[in-house]
Amino acid sequence: MDTGRQGPSERRLFLLSMLAGVGALLGAIAVWPLYRYLAPQGGGGTTEQVAIPLSDVPLGAARFFDYHGRPAVLVQVQAGEYVALSAVCTHLGCIVKWVGEKRHFLCPCHGGQFAPTGAVLAGPPPQPLASYRVIVQSGKLLVG
Amino acid sequence: MDRLKTLMDWFDVRLGVREILRSNLQGYLLPRHVNIWYSLGAVLLALFTLQFLSGILLLVYYLPAADKAFVSVERIMNAVPYGWLIRTLHMVGSNIIVAVLLLHLLSVLFMGAYKKPRELTWLSGFGLFNLSLILCLTGYLLPWSQLSFWATTVATDAAGAVPWIGEGLVTFLRGSPSVGAGTLGRFFALHVVAFPLLFLGLVGFHLFCVRRAGISVPPFGPSARPAGVGTTFQHEVHRDGIPFFPNYTVKELAVVMFVLAGLVAITVFAPALFLPPDALEPADPFTTPDHIKPEWYFLWAYQTLKIFPSKLMGLAAQGGAMTLLALLPFLDRGEERRPFHRPLFLTLYGLGILLLLGLSIWGHRS
Repeated sequence: MDTGRQGPSERRLFLLSMLAGVGALLGAIAVWPLYRYLAPQGGGGTTEQVAIPLSDVPLGAARFFDYHGRPAVLVQVQAGEYVALSAVCTHLGCIVKWVGEKRHFLCPCHGGQFAPTGAVLAGPPPQPLASYRVIVQSGKLLVG
Repeated sequence: MDRLKTLMDWFDVRLGVREILRSNLQGYLLPRHVNIWYSLGAVLLALFTLQFLSGILLLVYYLPAADKAFVSVERIMNAVPYGWLIRTLHMVGSNIIVAVLLLHLLSVLFMGAYKKPRELTWLSGFGLFNLSLILCLTGYLLPWSQLSFWATTVATDAAGAVPWIGEGLVTFLRGSPSVGAGTLGRFFALHVVAFPLLFLGLVGFHLFCVRRAGISVPPFGPSARPAGVGTTFQHEVHRDGIPFFPNYTVKELAVVMFVLAGLVAITVFAPALFLPPDALEPADPFTTPDHIKPEWYFLWAYQTLKIFPSKLMGLAAQGGAMTLLALLPFLDRGEERRPFHRPLFLTLYGLGILLLLGLSIWGHRS
């Protein structure tokens, strides 16, 4: 007849399971603040426009700036026509340089070339540079 | 479970892990009447581990530059998720460590555990105590608040009392004639790299001494007798003792958890306990706050410097007391460890504690 009594091994297993459960709970309580503390903050997801003075981007010149935590560049390709692009090369993530005399972007890492519109001209980049919306308002260029 | 056993077998064949575990856990026997005071070493290990981890986490956001340090600490406290928790744990933890270190030191003194053959354990432990205080002092400057700036100014200024080289020593400690960006740079390097490395080495040596000499029998109860120490090395064995694991480990774990609960309670319910208003103002080298005082564990030293007519005499008194304490096992060489069979020691012990408390309270109120 089963008396309902538990042997030492069952009791030990029960206690170990309880201990493991409490340990896992305490571990989770400790890990969550740690994750939140180390997780990146700000920069991502913001939709605020970035304002650059018109005078900073003369014809044929490029102006690099920080766009929500990522490098970006503004170019005046023709008089009054502005283009805003990501300055991150689509090949391996290096930052492109503006070559004024040739009027194109050059990636110094593997020689990728991009047109002022962001299109790939030569080299290994698989995609054009990402472009952003630009509007002119009250003497400023608003990107985003 | 079978996989775990297979993995264990793999290591056992190569390194004999089971034998190491057996001789250091179940086979390592401690005195049957070992008391709660013996757990303080484990409590300190747990607290120091927490300090190392929280310190590494603080380094993620802390900026060690005079014009950025205070703002970066403010950001950790107010903007970084759970930054307040990490920083407050680090700050409260340092205070609790000093309190537990004092209890550990006092219990070792009371039970005469510093005596032969444990002189090296005592010396390394005393070194760790002093190194911990230095870690507290160097870490105190890092938030670059009014409190940290002026507390460091006063603390480093004390070195100026050393004859002939005093002024040069102060400038060397600070990296400039007065506390400034140079001081922050060197205190930062010492606090996060140099002293922790030294500390780890010393902890390793201390634990080696503890394990090698064996745990001393508590000098209480009718069976307690003066330990007969021979002239050759002998590991103190306790054949009728209790296993280190699980019997004693469970007791130690309970004390560790109790202290950690206290740490968390202060961190959550009284985070401002160790944060006076001056700690919330950025350092201003041109304005000394009124009634600037050191942390509670330096109050006795602060008051000693005040009561002696010259700073040099105050420093010499402090140095003399600390040297006496460090060399105690070589001065007190009797084998008797039972506290109530050592009336002279017990009287000095009591008076010493009263003097420490009295000077600290006087320093706090003065």
